[in-house]
Amino acid sequence: MNPEPHSDLLLSVKNLKVHFQGVGPVAKAVNGVDFKVRRRQTVCIVGESGCGKTVTALAILGLLKQPPAVIAGGEIFFDGLSLFDLPASQMRNLRGKRIAMVFQEPMTSLNPVFTIGDQVGEAVLVHEEVSDDQARRRTIQLLYDVGIVEPEKRLNDYPHQLSGGQRQRVMIAMALACEPDLIIADEPTTALDVTVQAQILRLLKRLKQDKEMAIQYITHDLGVVAAIADHVYVMYAGVVVEQGSADAIFSKARHPYTMALLDSLPTKEKRGQRLYSIPGSVPHPAYRPLGCPFHPRCRYCEPSCEKAFPDFFDYGKGHEARCPVLYKSGVGEKDR
Amino acid sequence: MLAFFGRSVIQKIVTLFFVSVVSFLIIHLAPGEPSQIDPLNPKFTPEMVERMRKEFNLDKPLHIQYLLFYRNLFNGRIVSWRDNLPVLGKIWERFLNSLPLFIVGTLLTWTISFPVGIRSAIQRDGIYDKSTTFLSYLLISIPGFFFAYILIIFVVTKLHVPVIGMETFGVTASSPLVRIMDRTWHLVLPSILGATGGVAVLSRYVRGQMLEIIGQDYVRTARAKGLSSETVYYKHALRNALLPFVTMFGLILPGLIGGSVIIESIFSWPGMGRMAYEAILGRDYPVILTINFLTAVLVLAGTLVSDLLYMVVDPRIKI
Repeated sequence: MNPEPHSDLLLSVKNLKVHFQGVGPVAKAVNGVDFKVRRRQTVCIVGESGCGKTVTALAILGLLKQPPAVIAGGEIFFDGLSLFDLPASQMRNLRGKRIAMVFQEPMTSLNPVFTIGDQVGEAVLVHEEVSDDQARRRTIQLLYDVGIVEPEKRLNDYPHQLSGGQRQRVMIAMALACEPDLIIADEPTTALDVTVQAQILRLLKRLKQDKEMAIQYITHDLGVVAAIADHVYVMYAGVVVEQGSADAIFSKARHPYTMALLDSLPTKEKRGQRLYSIPGSVPHPAYRPLGCPFHPRCRYCEPSCEKAFPDFFDYGKGHEARCPVLYKSGVGEKDR
Repeated sequence: MLAFFGRSVIQKIVTLFFVSVVSFLIIHLAPGEPSQIDPLNPKFTPEMVERMRKEFNLDKPLHIQYLLFYRNLFNGRIVSWRDNLPVLGKIWERFLNSLPLFIVGTLLTWTISFPVGIRSAIQRDGIYDKSTTFLSYLLISIPGFFFAYILIIFVVTKLHVPVIGMETFGVTASSPLVRIMDRTWHLVLPSILGATGGVAVLSRYVRGQMLEIIGQDYVRTARAKGLSSETVYYKHALRNALLPFVTMFGLILPGLIGGSVIIESIFSWPGMGRMAYEAILGRDYPVILTINFLTAVLVLAGTLVSDLLYMVVDPRIKI
């Protein structure tokens, strides 16, 4: 049961575990993730490549290929519905209509042999009883909304005739087709250059205001997080290590991993200095260390970190971090 | 578009010229001349050999022979050295015999391979996929002639179906309906055999192609839209998976004239493949070279058709 029906809670993921069973040891890509998305909220999921961000998103939409993926545990509630208990047909009705996704690679995410008008219109037609003509007009409106110039003319273009930024706009138009409650954006600007990235972020912000949607934004780019996030979840090695409001994360980070990520950001003050990078690399999902998964790379590591992975420590106002060392010692932002 | 067409036709004519030169040379480089086909025959005197060489222009220099041959070919006056019949007439007659075999075989191949391959890909590693994979490799591994004899034994002893030749001897006297049935029965086994190898190989290609496309990002996008899996597979994936087969479709054209030597020989089918084979054994240069030339024309026409078809089905290709 959803603990908070009729509230503004839209999506809640509880203790989600996704494993990949191939040849060799089981890869625990997502290993107990909890997070919530409220209506009209922009939630950012941050973490390095390979920490399980995308797998989590695909699990929500039921798009994981099973096998090799296995949902090893956990629950996902969307607006009171338990997604893992929904029959396939209802899950399909939810996809695109109430939860839509924008993918990372605009270059390969559009079907090369259909016009963009077809592909956006299809998203309308599949969920709503409208005539082809109505769908066409909706498509033009959607393309206009996402900032495609002269949408009537671009309608018959094929994806290869568009630039990367335009393609991502088309992807967003497709996601908006049925005015979903939640858009999951999986690194939608990673493949784009910085100016286009800024345009897409502005577009998403504006659309979120206009259409009253929630956005779950997956990224590894803290600059993007700073620009759009209301609430932030920091993921490492398949688990959430810290969560809090965007302000709390940026000014009072309480987990060594978050702090290290912030330290690796280039800023004006650090101009001319060598940029900090976290030693080591993200452990392979099949060979994660015991205890706190970050301990081999952590500068605050204590012997106890190698034995047990601690629970969250509360810092108030929804700000929580899973590091007992910093909690006890009171090391904070200014000491970094 | 027109410029592309013109340019490509000119290119193909140039290619054809080189093909004609090379095939002419290869035939003439091969040991054995038509005049020496039976040197041990006591009736074959050196004078006769000389006379034949003169008759067939074999005493002239190669480039003169080449010009004479292709002049005759284009005038339609070329005749076989064995029976002095016009080569084009002979080929046409045999072509009409091979045609039903080719059409039925090709239709079977393409109509069976696609559903089988697509289903294997969608249900990857399922029972259906594993059994068709096993069957395909089995059919690929069994030599065609061996499989043919097993089938003939089975069909003749169990089903009492006539299999040799194009029709039963003496059936011409029967009513048209009986003749049609007889011809159909004769057609069944050779076309099925002709198709098995094709199905085994083509269904594998279809499966591989389909699997590759199913893993593409845009197929995931289609799923994320909430489309049914039928629409995802048969609209979004299949349309892309079919693209490379359009190229193959143009390349089945040469099969029209090639026929199948093995199957036609086993079933005593008086088709193109057998005629070509017999012509090679008999050093019947005009027949060999004409078939060779026509095949080259069809190959080149096939590639042109492929290019044009590709333009129709793939919006990314524009000329």
